[in-house]
Amino acid sequence: MTPPSISPPAITETAITGPAIAALACEGLSKRYGELVAVEDVGFAIAPGQAYGLLGPNGAGKTTTISMLVGLLRPDAGTVTVGGVDLAEDPMRAKAGIGYVPQEIALYPELTGRENLRFFGRLFGLPRREVAGRIEEVLDLVGLTGRADSRLSTYSGGMRRRINIGAALLHRPQVLILDEPTVGVDPQSRKAILDGVERLVEEGMALLYTSHYMEEVERVCDRVAIIDHGRIIADGTRQELISLVGSADKVELSLDGDVDTALAKLRVVEGVIEAARTGATSIRLITEGGRYLLPSLITAVDGCATVTATQVVEPDLEATFLHLTGSTLRD
Amino acid sequence: MSATPRPVLALVAANLRRHARDRVGLFFMVVMPFVSIVFVGMAIGNVSDRLPVGVVAHGSDPVTTALLAELRRRPDLEVRPVGSAAELRSEVRAGSLAAGLVIPPGSTRLDLVVTQTNGSGLAARSAIDVAVGRAAAVQEATRAAVAAGATPAQAAEYVRRAQAESGRVAVRDSAAATADPRGFAYTAPANLLLFTFINSMAVAAALVESRRLGMLQRALTAPVRRRSVLLGEALSRFLVALAQAVLIVVVSALAFDVSWGDPLGVAAVVVVFSLVATGAALLVGTLLRSPDQAPAIGPPLGVVLGMLGGCLWPRESSGEVINAIGHLFPHAWGMDALLTLAQPGTGLVEVLPQLAVLAGMAVLLLGGSLALFGRRALTAV
Repeated sequence: MTPPSISPPAITETAITGPAIAALACEGLSKRYGELVAVEDVGFAIAPGQAYGLLGPNGAGKTTTISMLVGLLRPDAGTVTVGGVDLAEDPMRAKAGIGYVPQEIALYPELTGRENLRFFGRLFGLPRREVAGRIEEVLDLVGLTGRADSRLSTYSGGMRRRINIGAALLHRPQVLILDEPTVGVDPQSRKAILDGVERLVEEGMALLYTSHYMEEVERVCDRVAIIDHGRIIADGTRQELISLVGSADKVELSLDGDVDTALAKLRVVEGVIEAARTGATSIRLITEGGRYLLPSLITAVDGCATVTATQVVEPDLEATFLHLTGSTLRD
Repeated sequence: MSATPRPVLALVAANLRRHARDRVGLFFMVVMPFVSIVFVGMAIGNVSDRLPVGVVAHGSDPVTTALLAELRRRPDLEVRPVGSAAELRSEVRAGSLAAGLVIPPGSTRLDLVVTQTNGSGLAARSAIDVAVGRAAAVQEATRAAVAAGATPAQAAEYVRRAQAESGRVAVRDSAAATADPRGFAYTAPANLLLFTFINSMAVAAALVESRRLGMLQRALTAPVRRRSVLLGEALSRFLVALAQAVLIVVVSALAFDVSWGDPLGVAAVVVVFSLVATGAALLVGTLLRSPDQAPAIGPPLGVVLGMLGGCLWPRESSGEVINAIGHLFPHAWGMDALLTLAQPGTGLVEVLPQLAVLAGMAVLLLGGSLALFGRRALTAV
């Protein structure tokens, strides 16, 4: 037991302020359509400066969840808070903290990029004097200052996506919600989008990100939830999720020569957990630190066989996803 | 709680800017109505509002003189002297005269020549009847005064005074007795209603497009109330309808010398009809799925309603059945109101019944479409 002290040490002072209020939090979110359960008991919290990924196959409930988070759909049960403000109790104040970027480009094609941004600036109630200046900042952020006065219908798919995101940033939201922001985007725009998003997160914005592209989620998000059949089935950092399917790597070897002798020699190499012959000229090993083991594996069989091909399969988020949901993201 | 003005204005500004960028739409708003006013106006004749009436009068007796004076005093008749009764009959039959009157010298038996039983013929006949009645009354009164002992000069003076008195209480001709005006005076109000409605239907495409793009849903993720979005979308369409109507009133008054009548009455009709058009546009914009359907369904609907309401050709050319069916829809009531207002001496009070019917239609259409629009296109916490 710590004796009570008159002046608390510095460490308790940070404890008094407590953990930062989540920029976006939801708890027990559920939505049913008759018999169909679209979303059941979904809950998570995103702190300022945290990037949270929501992964799930089509029809898993991602869009339904997001619709409830942004106030377009009333949940049957559960709560949503934005910066501590309950969305159901004070929707106007809660919505002011959200920057939602829908999957489809929701912009007026007849208007220019700048005019579209002005529309959203007014819609979000930006003070009159600030609108023009803020539009410039956002145009700069999405890298479209030069094309701001061209009509949207003349933009490439990537440029439209960038304005689509920019429109959600004008009012400096606490949390940015991106629903598949890079679908149908050229590599250049994709890079610009991801760079921009990472910069925003570094500056302290909270991010909720859904994507079909696993590598994007792995790059951008520091925490990921896997959602399937309306439920979150796993939630954690990338490493935590990957460790769910084990940390061992799989090494596939193709050999010429005396395969049985080679198998026996490989079994005793340090780092090899398991070895099995999978064909006339092939062996599968389960190892720790697969690719770093390759030189010693090749040396071990020297004299009785020659390695003609190798493949190292390291577990990744995709493998975890496949393991947990039984389906790939792109189907 | 009221709708906050800024999001409403944001929606209105964006929508009006979108419409201003639509060149085809602008052409239909700014050019087509006047093309239609001019061409149809010329086709149905632009010889003022007067009905041509031929008169064969060779005598110079007091009856003939009084009758001719009475006929010439009518603002709705254009009296043309004709040489013979045969000539008169052939001109009436050919349609260049609405009616004809033969006044035999020294006789009180007049021959009326009307072959067509159309609106102009009936109107001319009733106008002639009124003129003859007045002339006869003067004759009768003068005769009575002379019989009572007055000199002919005194008698004429008494009757003139009596006429001046009775002029103040004279009953105006009812709408049924007067023919619809011709030329621009008819086509200007007709095209005002036609194009205000058609172009409202056409801009409904923009509303369908907003829905399809997800603009409305996205707007609701902003701190904006549903009623603000609803009001913003409705106000955008209303302003387009109003702009179309005002453009036609102003340009036709300045360029074609069309007199619309009491400004307050015309403003009331224009506003209420624009509300009807707004309701119809919102309904179409809510029910259709693809923006391409709006121009395919809206304007044809507007044209059919315009036909029934007498906006494409003179109502007197349509049968009674068509005109009766027409009164199930707003255009016919709008025509009734605007044509009544165009007659001198009428005002807001004379068109209150038509305004009431139009307002009822506006309430039904706007109420229904806003409820449907809110339910179908705008769902949010």
